[in-house]
Amino acid sequence: MSKVLVDGQEIEIGAHERLNGIQAAARAGIEIPHYCWHPGLSVVASCRMCLVETGRRDAATGEISMVPKLVPACQTPAAPGTVFVTNSAKVAAARALVEEDLLLRHPIDCPICDKAGECLLQDYHFKYGQAERRADIKPFTSRRRPVGGTVTLFVDRCVMCTRCVRFTREITGTHELMIVNRGSQEEIDVFPGYPLANKLSGNVVDICPVGALGDTEFLYRQRVWFLKRHAGVCAGCATGCSIHVEENQDRIYRLKPRENPHVNRWWMCDEGRYGFQHVHSPRRVAGPRRRVGARWEELPWSSLPDQLDADLRRAGRLAVVFSPHLTVEEAYLLAGYARAIDPAALLVLGPVPRVGRDETFPGGFTIRAEKCPNRRGVQEIVSRLAPEQVELAQLPELIAAQSIQGLWVSGGYKTDWHDESWAAALAEVPLLVVQDLFESPLWDRATYQLPGAAFAERDGSYVSATDRLQSFRWAVRPPAQVLPEGPLLWRLSGRHGLYRASQVLAEVAREHAYFAAAAEGVPEVGVDLKVQLLAPV
Amino acid sequence: MAAERILTAEMIAEIEAYLRRYPTRQAVTLPALHVVHHHLRHVPLQAVVEVAEFLELSPAQVQDTLSFYGFFKQAAPHGRTRAWVCRSLSCALRGGEEILQHLCGRLGLEPGGTTRDGRLTLEAAECLGACELAPCLLAGQRLHGNLTPAAAEGLLESLGPSRGQAG
Amino acid sequence: MAEFEPVLLAQVGKADSHTLRVYEAAGGYAALRRTLATLQPAEVVTLVKESALRGRGGAGFPTGLKWTFLPKDHPGPIYFCLNADESEPGTFNNRVLMEDDPHQVLEGLILSSYATRTTTAYIYLRYEYPRARERLQAAIDECYAAGYLGRNVLGSGYALDVYLHQGAAAYICGEETGLIESLEGRRAWPRIKPPFPAVEGLFRKPTVVNNVETVACVKQIAARGAEWFKSIGTPADPRDPRDPGSYGPKLYCLSGHVARPGCYEAPLGITARQLIDEFGGGVWKGRRVKAVVPGGISMGLLSADELDCPLDFSGPGRYGCLGLGTAAVIVLDETVAIVDFLHNTARFFAHESCGQCTPCREGTAWALRMLERIRAGRGRWRDLELLREIADSIGIIPGTTICGLADGAAWPLKNAMDKFRDELQDYVRRTNPGGYRQTEPAVAAQPAGPGLAVHGPRCEAGGHATEFRES
Repeated sequence: MSKVLVDGQEIEIGAHERLNGIQAAARAGIEIPHYCWHPGLSVVASCRMCLVETGRRDAATGEISMVPKLVPACQTPAAPGTVFVTNSAKVAAARALVEEDLLLRHPIDCPICDKAGECLLQDYHFKYGQAERRADIKPFTSRRRPVGGTVTLFVDRCVMCTRCVRFTREITGTHELMIVNRGSQEEIDVFPGYPLANKLSGNVVDICPVGALGDTEFLYRQRVWFLKRHAGVCAGCATGCSIHVEENQDRIYRLKPRENPHVNRWWMCDEGRYGFQHVHSPRRVAGPRRRVGARWEELPWSSLPDQLDADLRRAGRLAVVFSPHLTVEEAYLLAGYARAIDPAALLVLGPVPRVGRDETFPGGFTIRAEKCPNRRGVQEIVSRLAPEQVELAQLPELIAAQSIQGLWVSGGYKTDWHDESWAAALAEVPLLVVQDLFESPLWDRATYQLPGAAFAERDGSYVSATDRLQSFRWAVRPPAQVLPEGPLLWRLSGRHGLYRASQVLAEVAREHAYFAAAAEGVPEVGVDLKVQLLAPV
Repeated sequence: MAAERILTAEMIAEIEAYLRRYPTRQAVTLPALHVVHHHLRHVPLQAVVEVAEFLELSPAQVQDTLSFYGFFKQAAPHGRTRAWVCRSLSCALRGGEEILQHLCGRLGLEPGGTTRDGRLTLEAAECLGACELAPCLLAGQRLHGNLTPAAAEGLLESLGPSRGQAG
Repeated sequence: MAEFEPVLLAQVGKADSHTLRVYEAAGGYAALRRTLATLQPAEVVTLVKESALRGRGGAGFPTGLKWTFLPKDHPGPIYFCLNADESEPGTFNNRVLMEDDPHQVLEGLILSSYATRTTTAYIYLRYEYPRARERLQAAIDECYAAGYLGRNVLGSGYALDVYLHQGAAAYICGEETGLIESLEGRRAWPRIKPPFPAVEGLFRKPTVVNNVETVACVKQIAARGAEWFKSIGTPADPRDPRDPGSYGPKLYCLSGHVARPGCYEAPLGITARQLIDEFGGGVWKGRRVKAVVPGGISMGLLSADELDCPLDFSGPGRYGCLGLGTAAVIVLDETVAIVDFLHNTARFFAHESCGQCTPCREGTAWALRMLERIRAGRGRWRDLELLREIADSIGIIPGTTICGLADGAAWPLKNAMDKFRDELQDYVRRTNPGGYRQTEPAVAAQPAGPGLAVHGPRCEAGGHATEFRES
């Protein structure tokens, strides 16, 4: 451990840690404003906003000698004995001048700029800027330039931090963004015919400190100060990026990556980022129904569980198809419930959507071909309880041989996930329960149609392809006619009170060695389940 | 829609000859741009695409470099003679600005512009490094010094199509 | 002083001075031959250190010391970049050397490369020097043919390749890491330091960047000795242990309002007055001096009563200038308006600022806008205050920028404010009688802190203090 001084406060730096001045100051609770530095990108020290005074403290005498000139904190290592001063008049004046410089030719766009409310230029101006505007330019509004399908560039708002250009060079390796011209004429642009179109494009909007880069889909849709932010996990693929779900009045407006050094660091892919529209699709199925002969009987949620339970107990042999979109807790409850009714119930892992191959980018980020968030977790639950591993493909013939009388199928897929013939084969069972988001051939043939929850509407945990378990709470309420899987199964299992996913997880962790690491609660960045495994599973 | 290739075999051979001088392909960017500019008197966007392909870079990377230097023309070829008139301090002290203004007026051009017949491009240059001969003008490969507005005008007249050299 | 026998310019003026034949006839490459045969690379470094040679490119850093920063026992490759991008306004001595004595430059380059164990040397040559390009390339070809370059230089076992690399009209390519970035094929944005080029430079390998005149001096030191070099120039100040002295001959470029502009060689330390009068034939047209640029426009201005300033590495600093720079001396006579000088230099720096860091990119553009407005008769006293503020805040000296271009942009403004304040204020008052006073007093930048002040200072005329003006 070594000591670094920041504004008189002593900070401990671990022997293996490599921190710069900004990070050391953050540890002391002190903000050093900066634009161009980003922990995931190269250090360029070009914005000059993070200038501080630095010096050394003699280890023996304790005497401090300061360097006469300012230095960027982002390029100054917090080496043992380093002294940082961020609150001097010299530093304040330097910051005020950089702010002024950036505002000299900045368009007066705040009223029409999406970034207002989360804009570093605004924030730093209030904290560190000057009261008086001395610029000599007439107010103007920014030019707008499309740089790709999902990102819009407001050229004149750019402060030349070059984060976006470095992102496409260092993280995606796609090199679409460039700087053109020299000096104060510099602008960000793409080469004609080569738009910003890589699978991680949306991240440049996150890292842009001002309103220069905007999400085309999100433009002008919501002011950020109305958005409430919830920690979540992306359900787009088996990478399981940590995200924030940002919503207002139960409507999701955008997803943003949440920093997680073990999974996605600071990034998420576009498919995940923009993959929430289905949550508010008008095609979402409403109202649970039961088929009675040729009619449909609308069932209120107050009486449905008892009715369903009775029908299941009368049915005979049961089988359950587990969607890889279920949480660990839901899969556990469902499996337990089915086995409580029929100890020999078949437990089968449902279709696992795969598209293409795993793709890893130069910066290390990986998009998985497996387009569901919890195949790993669901499979563990299923295989523990049903070691005989019935394959999904065997189901139609088992049904045809009349070995199954009651079938519960869990869906939750974003897109079409089966065809007519598969639905017809499964629908041969006398009692078919389908829990899903959208109509489908199987849904149309169900005995019980149960509208299910989307990913952002449930509490629970997912396990990623790398055996990391992350837990999350719901971010938006589901449509009025939906009772999410968790509460429904909780009730069917005869448990009382409100659904508590954390309680279920603790049970799972006690009963299944694979989940043992989650027994004492799960931190925000999740937990690596492999930590507790001493032998290969 | 495949665009017609611009780089000739000769240009490619010239660019290729530079590869052995540098450990990276990207370092051949500036020499390659000079080759193209020398032949075509400008570097059209299609040429940028082809140079990028050859150097295993993205077009954006090459364009980024190209646009930094005010030297390369892109929209249209410069004139057969490219005349740089120096406007830095030593030349300005001895009439450089007047020469530039005079030529702009006579030719009906702004600095950077080309005459309609494609004969001449007039550029404002920063210090040409010939201050002992101020005010001066670099036309093609030749430096002319100790000019007056009239002498400069006469000089450019005399550089007809047969004598003007591409930059 | 005028009797000093030129060494660096000894060949210049002779017929065919640029050819190998003439160069060898005058004893050329004997120093290289002897050095390769008798000295190890480290010994050449020691020799150059002993000579106290300081770089001639503008920074004046001790050359031998710079060479010692290269890592010992590095497996290589090590690169040498000869900075022939000479773009500082007023400067042309490198051009003269390259056009009229390219072999002196090459011999110095080969010696310097040998000393630093360089395997490949690039000559980054600005586009605007076509004749230098032609002659240097011909000289390089002659060297390969004669065995001074290639796999086995003069049978010594040392291998060296030299390539010409042509620039594209950007001043910032003369900054050593801007040059490196440009050579690597990117926009010439200077790198942050550390790491320094000697540790991690061109293609991330140890690299030395030196000026053309510097390597020519290396040749002369190898030929005549360190003692000889130290017998010329201004010795180190015995009272200042950190003064390395200003030794050796220097090429001074004299231009502007003098009778005989030209490149003149003299021992380091002649005064501006001596250079102008004894070499340059005095101010032209019988006029009087108003101001003199001592070392390229980045260095600022000497006023008319500061002409006894010695033009060595420490002299101009004592008169408030940035330094000796490129020793390009430009004379301004009494008819020059200082505001025009400032506009010309501001335009240059705004045009050449690479744009990477905020204070320089915005500051140089702002300074130009203000000076254009002042020249257009809409200047204000507060503009002069603002120009001063910009000048005091940008540069590597205060630490606010990545490279020294900003310091160069700042210094003419600083010197003009200090030495010609009355003239500037007078100009503004005369040309803008109705609006030169903005508010009183001129308000310096004050950080707002929490609770943003809504109202600015009270304005005389009753309008809001922060009027938006067209730039």
